[in-house]
Amino acid sequence: MNRKVVFLPEEVSLEVLPGTPLLRAAALAGIEVKSSCGGKGSCSRCLVKVEEGKAIVKSTGKLSGEEQEQGYVLSCQALVGDQDLRVNIPISSRLEEHRILFNSPDNVDGEEEAYGAYDGYPLCTRFQLSLEPPSIDDNTSDLTRLMMALRREMGKSSPETEIKINTAALRGLAKALRERNWNLSVVMTYFPGNVEVITAAAGQNEKPLYGLAIDIGTTTVAIYLVDLLNGKTVLHHGSFNRQSRYGDDIISRIIYASEDEKGLNELHDSVIGTINEIIGQILQQAGINEEEILQVVTAGNTTMTHLFLGVPPDFIRLEPYIPTFSSTPAVKAKDLGLRVHPEAWVHSFPQVASYLGGDIVSGILYADLAENDEIVLFVDIGTNGEIVLGNKDWMVGCACSAGPSFEGGGITFGMRAMSGAIERVVVDPVSLEVQVKTVNNVKPLGICGSGLIDCLSALKTAGIIDRSGKFQSDLKSARLRSGEEGLEYVLVWADDSGVEKDIFLTEGDLKNLIMAKGAVYAAIRTLLRTLELDESVISKVIIAGGFGNYLHIQDAIRIGLLPDLEYEKFEFIGNSSLKGAKLGLLSRKALNKARKIGNMITYIELSVGTIFMDEYVSALFLPHTDITLFPSVESVENRN
Amino acid sequence: MAVEVSKEKYRSQVREVVLGATKEEGGTRSHTVKVGGETALPFLHFEGEMPNRPVVAMEVWDIVPEEWPASLKSYFEDVYDDAGAWAKKCVEQYGADLIAIRFKSADPDIKDASAEDCIATLKKVLGSVGVPLIVYGCGKSDKDNSIIGPIAEAAEGENLLLGVAEQDNYKSVTSAAMAHKHSIIAQSPIDINIAKQLNILISEMSTPLLDRIIIDPTVAALGYGLEYSYSIMERARFGSLQGDRMLAMPTIANVGHEVWSKKEASISADDEPGWGDQAERSMAWEATTAMALIQGGMDILVMRNPRAVELIKKSIDDLMQDNS
Repeated sequence: MNRKVVFLPEEVSLEVLPGTPLLRAAALAGIEVKSSCGGKGSCSRCLVKVEEGKAIVKSTGKLSGEEQEQGYVLSCQALVGDQDLRVNIPISSRLEEHRILFNSPDNVDGEEEAYGAYDGYPLCTRFQLSLEPPSIDDNTSDLTRLMMALRREMGKSSPETEIKINTAALRGLAKALRERNWNLSVVMTYFPGNVEVITAAAGQNEKPLYGLAIDIGTTTVAIYLVDLLNGKTVLHHGSFNRQSRYGDDIISRIIYASEDEKGLNELHDSVIGTINEIIGQILQQAGINEEEILQVVTAGNTTMTHLFLGVPPDFIRLEPYIPTFSSTPAVKAKDLGLRVHPEAWVHSFPQVASYLGGDIVSGILYADLAENDEIVLFVDIGTNGEIVLGNKDWMVGCACSAGPSFEGGGITFGMRAMSGAIERVVVDPVSLEVQVKTVNNVKPLGICGSGLIDCLSALKTAGIIDRSGKFQSDLKSARLRSGEEGLEYVLVWADDSGVEKDIFLTEGDLKNLIMAKGAVYAAIRTLLRTLELDESVISKVIIAGGFGNYLHIQDAIRIGLLPDLEYEKFEFIGNSSLKGAKLGLLSRKALNKARKIGNMITYIELSVGTIFMDEYVSALFLPHTDITLFPSVESVENRN
Repeated sequence: MAVEVSKEKYRSQVREVVLGATKEEGGTRSHTVKVGGETALPFLHFEGEMPNRPVVAMEVWDIVPEEWPASLKSYFEDVYDDAGAWAKKCVEQYGADLIAIRFKSADPDIKDASAEDCIATLKKVLGSVGVPLIVYGCGKSDKDNSIIGPIAEAAEGENLLLGVAEQDNYKSVTSAAMAHKHSIIAQSPIDINIAKQLNILISEMSTPLLDRIIIDPTVAALGYGLEYSYSIMERARFGSLQGDRMLAMPTIANVGHEVWSKKEASISADDEPGWGDQAERSMAWEATTAMALIQGGMDILVMRNPRAVELIKKSIDDLMQDNS
């Protein structure tokens, strides 16, 4: 028999079967609870408080006795039993309370410049037609009449291919033609093998023609609403990917999709749900309806693209790591259930390999690597570090598992680059006092990737940690203390923090960070060594990823995350996946180029051979075991 | 037509480290021992210099080594109550180049001897022999950290070789070596990266110590992964010769400690008739392990069995013959 669960403070109630985990019940009630570990009871992020009634607690994880007495449970480990429950979900356990930031200030100029090269080859456009009405002498059908007019209108750019029309448009055609005296506005889409009339509406239409560029990230989904006729981004929105409830990382989600009977459907529905929710906000803010959005282009990593399309991702995880598809034909929005015009085509960027996906191809497109004579290094730093090296003639790429540290995962007080995240840390080497700056300058809630990079560098420079990332236990500072997991360093005292607790870093946090930076740097070195190239051949380093508002290059070099090159060579382009998706949305030429880029990148599998492992272990040091790779970092060898 | 032997040229060399100090140098040793300095792979005299021969240190304990098999124990029956006499016997009778004192008595589970007790033993050994000394604690890091400072201070100027600094515990021994002018053993768990990282960590505390570090790469006994140790040594040596100054330290191996704790060294022929005489077998086990290690470039061997020592010293003599 169903039991009633009321979630507080909203007072949202629902009835569920006994045995349902509170985490799932909350999701059914529309409340997104953090669940980094995917419901395995290990991350303690899904903490909720049972205020009335008793839940069946399978495991208490890392909860303290005091917390348990107060009624706190891990919502993934607490099942609805034979009692009705009232459960309070604290803000710190919720996903939705934190909206993501668009991680770099939108560089509209740069985007338009990037778009310039693709002008004149729209993927989707609109024609305003005025047809000769039929007569008894000119008795061709409505459709033939439309096609003839379209071919005339398209002129030279008219493709040889047959122009198609979808059933819905065909059904409305006769009426549309006659309603406004044979004046008609027609939205067309072109891509190889398909030139199609999407909509044909009576009369002239001077309103903007809208499309969506969507970046489907493992953690966040970000969308641009773009005016396809002038290339401008009208507005943007982003949100957490609701799949997070099935685990923070890709692997947990693949496992869920392959091992749970309904797993694939749930994951597919939750990403579509996330996108539709963002679209809802966009529609409201722009004051348009969903039928006005007539083209969609998405870029995501291989797993996200599989799940978005509802394709089983099972074999991405298993050796020899084969995705179901690399390049996929476009699909209709109505087949996916997206809240746009049902006949709109949805294109997904092609994948290079299981762990080098469309998001990277999109980034490479945006960064214009394929037009460059000189060798460029493209680095996308997230849970996976994806690296591409090359120029217009060749490209090699690889992916390394860096772990989620740079996105705040696996770090005691880690968080994404959201309001309240510490993004800058300065440590005074004499007093060992710490100054922090947060996103939006509010009270600190935690620390994000750029803050962590700063912190590692500052702690080393101040002599608080040694080169292996261990605290100097003989330091005289109240900030260095012994905690539950060994030594920890307090960055922000409880009085100054926004979480009413001291915000600190543990040696374990530092170790995770060093492993993450080591993996990225080792992957860069592996590509270079595989090609027998030296770092000096790199003319430019393009960094993409969700680091917050900035990445301090000097600190990133000092900790050995990025190669030791002149600072001018580094360029930070933020969410290049989204920006590349926008290029594809505006131009079929760009979309074709993305397909070429996908085919052009040679994928280097790091688990084959020994170079990566060798490089990785020697990178687990600050900055590196081979200090000669970091000449600018003051080293003992320089002094020697 | 004469065959042209192709020769490899390297651009760098292993650092040379001096152990011990004579009266003029501030110590009391009759002579010092130099190790390292190689400019080629071991014993390839035709390719480069090997200015210093590998040396053998013999172990002296400050308690009776009950865990040693009788065949080994019997060599030192007459000197167990006197570390000084034990050391003297090793040097004078068995030709030890160095003495390695192990302060087993400091182990909290054995005698929990104080730093003062250890210093008294050390003074005795310093008085009885003129060779440079290697000092090992009891192997329990908390205790060792507490006695190493006073020991180093008491022997200031002697340039002892102090053991052991490890990645997770290098500060006490490094400080002791720094403050009282001794050398230091940097031990890493068969991991070339950690070996190097540890050298960097030590040198960050004291740059001059770079020339007083001996790497203990951790070795295994024959049959227990010796080839793995060998390949680590080989990589380290190639690194040194190719200019990696942070890896270019001479090396030390705890041969006796590894070999004599293995069943092959102690099981009697009655239990394993196929294995042959225990005394002979165990001696050969230590000698063979040591032999492989010097071929891999080991500079200092810490050994136990006098006959194995004799065999190895003879082999070193032979290998040091000019083959250029």
